[in-house]
Order: sequence, then structure tokens, then C-alpha cells
Amino acid sequence: MAAEREARVERVVAHAPGTRTLVLRLPPGERLAFRPGQFVSCLLPVGGERLIRPYSIASSPEEPARLEILLDLVPGGPGSRHLFGLGPGDRLRFTGPWGTFVLDRPPDAEAVFVAAETGIAPIRPMLRRAAATAVHPLRLLYGTALGLYHDELAALPGVTVEVVAPRALEAAVAARFIQADDDRSRHFYLCGVGEQVTRLRDGLRAAGYARRAVQYEKW
Amino acid sequence: MAILRVTFESGAPPRVIEFDPARAPFQHDGRPGSILDVLLAHGVDLEHACGGNCACTTCHVIVKRGGERLSPAEESEEDLLDKAVGLTPTSRLACQAVVLHPEAEIEVLVPRYTINIDSGSHGR
Repeated sequence: MAAEREARVERVVAHAPGTRTLVLRLPPGERLAFRPGQFVSCLLPVGGERLIRPYSIASSPEEPARLEILLDLVPGGPGSRHLFGLGPGDRLRFTGPWGTFVLDRPPDAEAVFVAAETGIAPIRPMLRRAAATAVHPLRLLYGTALGLYHDELAALPGVTVEVVAPRALEAAVAARFIQADDDRSRHFYLCGVGEQVTRLRDGLRAAGYARRAVQYEKW
Repeated sequence: MAILRVTFESGAPPRVIEFDPARAPFQHDGRPGSILDVLLAHGVDLEHACGGNCACTTCHVIVKRGGERLSPAEESEEDLLDKAVGLTPTSRLACQAVVLHPEAEIEVLVPRYTINIDSGSHGR
């Protein structure tokens, strides 16, 4: 089975009553090599069992000893309740990195990142990586009320950020990238929670974007 | 009763599991009644790094027999399988393939490697 790692909670940042960031620190001398967009799977001792809960890494591979994960409190969810109970100094076991929703280098076309609220987590390191070397435009269409990381992402070179209300995200994607023109060369990176992500994926593919040009992570 | 036969590319001893699909879920990871659900509940510790949420490929299995008795793969599963090492025409993600028929006879092979293990290079 996968090798287990351990980190300590260094800091908890509350963004809203049900949304927070855990800043994790690996033991001295250890680091985690990961690709922008990957996730770790937290191993949570809950009720005598061990729950596996995957969380995208919201920080960048350039800081390999420090990991940020962005949490939503899930009503009735034992995993997120456990994580919300953690404070500075507490230990957290995990495996990873995992996942194939990654961006190592920007695509040879306009790249559109679509994030629904905390779905911004994997997009943040992907967009940072893309902005470092991008030749083509980078766009972030961000359905959010919280606006996490908005200012830092908007300040990245070559990145255009548009914020819409969470409920308006699907309509905005359709308006900007399906109805507005016939350009189907764009590459998409979608992330959010639930069926909204699969609807976005299906809409873009049905509109003529290549299957592999529409990458996504659905949590 | 349904039967799930499991062989391992690693050379681990094969297993034969009898179970009643109607009694799913058997534990908490993967879709209820999925191959992963059945295996975990019967002591086969199949890797499932994302917790059975269709977000990785570590539970990749190759269906050798009885594939028509499983739930068809959805697009999300196919997209992930595209990235699985050793993909075959009968590859499935064990967390997504649900045993539908009460008397299904399924045979799966657990491959040795997955892409995620390869990419999980842990630096120190």
C-alpha cells in the first residue's frame, strides 16, 4: 500500500464559518515532490475506523515542505468535521501526492481555468505554474462569493481573472466560450464540487472542444 | 450469490469471494456494491488512494470475465482510465464498477503498477 507521511498543522486560516485552510508542515528535512493540481489523501481516525479524504494541494511545488489544503465543512461529514477540529501542532497522516489533474507546462493554446468556490485549490498552483512560462492567454473564470486568492492570481503575469456569482458560473462559461465565438482551440481546467463539474465538462465537449482539452477534477 | 474471482499480477494467492449484491454497501469506500466495496469487505486490501471517489487510478483492475454484469463505465471513469498504466479494453476502476447481477460471476486481475505510484516520488 501507499507510503504514509505525517505532517503537523502549522496554522489554521478561517475564511468563512465553513471554509478554512490548514497549513501543514512536514517534519524537518522532509519534502513532498508533487505536480501542480495533485492532491493528498488524508487518513483520519474517526469512530474506530480510518477514513480516506482526498484534498487538493492549494500551495505550490516550489514550497515542498509546506502544504496548504482548503477545507469545506460538509454537513454530516465525519471527515471534514474531524479536520475542522484540528489546530496548530496537531498531527495529520496522509498519502500522496496523487492524481492526474495536473499542469506541468501551459498548453499551446489559450488556457481557461474554471473554478467553483473552493475548487480554486488545485487551480491556484496550476495557474502559477502556467503564468511562469505562458505564451498564450490565461483566463480564470471564478464562481465565488469568498474570492479566495483572487488578488494574488489576478496579479500573475498574463492572467485575466473574471469573478461571477457561484450560481452564474455555468451560464458564464457557456456565454464566453460556447456562444461567443467558434474558436474551439482552447484548453480547459475545471474544478469544483459535485455535478456542476460534469455538466461543464459535458457542455464544453458537446460544443466541439476536444475531449482531452477539457480536463477536470470533481470533488 | 455472486462470485468474484481475483488474481494478482504480483503473484499473491488468488481469492474467490461469494457475496450477495443486494446487501451492499459492505463498507464505506467506493460505490456501494462496487468491486472495491466487495474486495475491501473481504480482506483484499486493494489500493484506493482517493478513498474510492473516482479521482485517481490506483484501483485499476482488468476484468477477465463477466464484464457485462457490471455497471457500464461513465465518462468520468473513462477519462481517468485514459491515464492508467497498462490500460486494456476491459480495464475498470474497481471503485466505480458495480456488480449488478445477483448471480454474476466476475473475474478480475489486479495489475502490479499504477501511474499514481510511479508519480508519487517522495523526496526527503
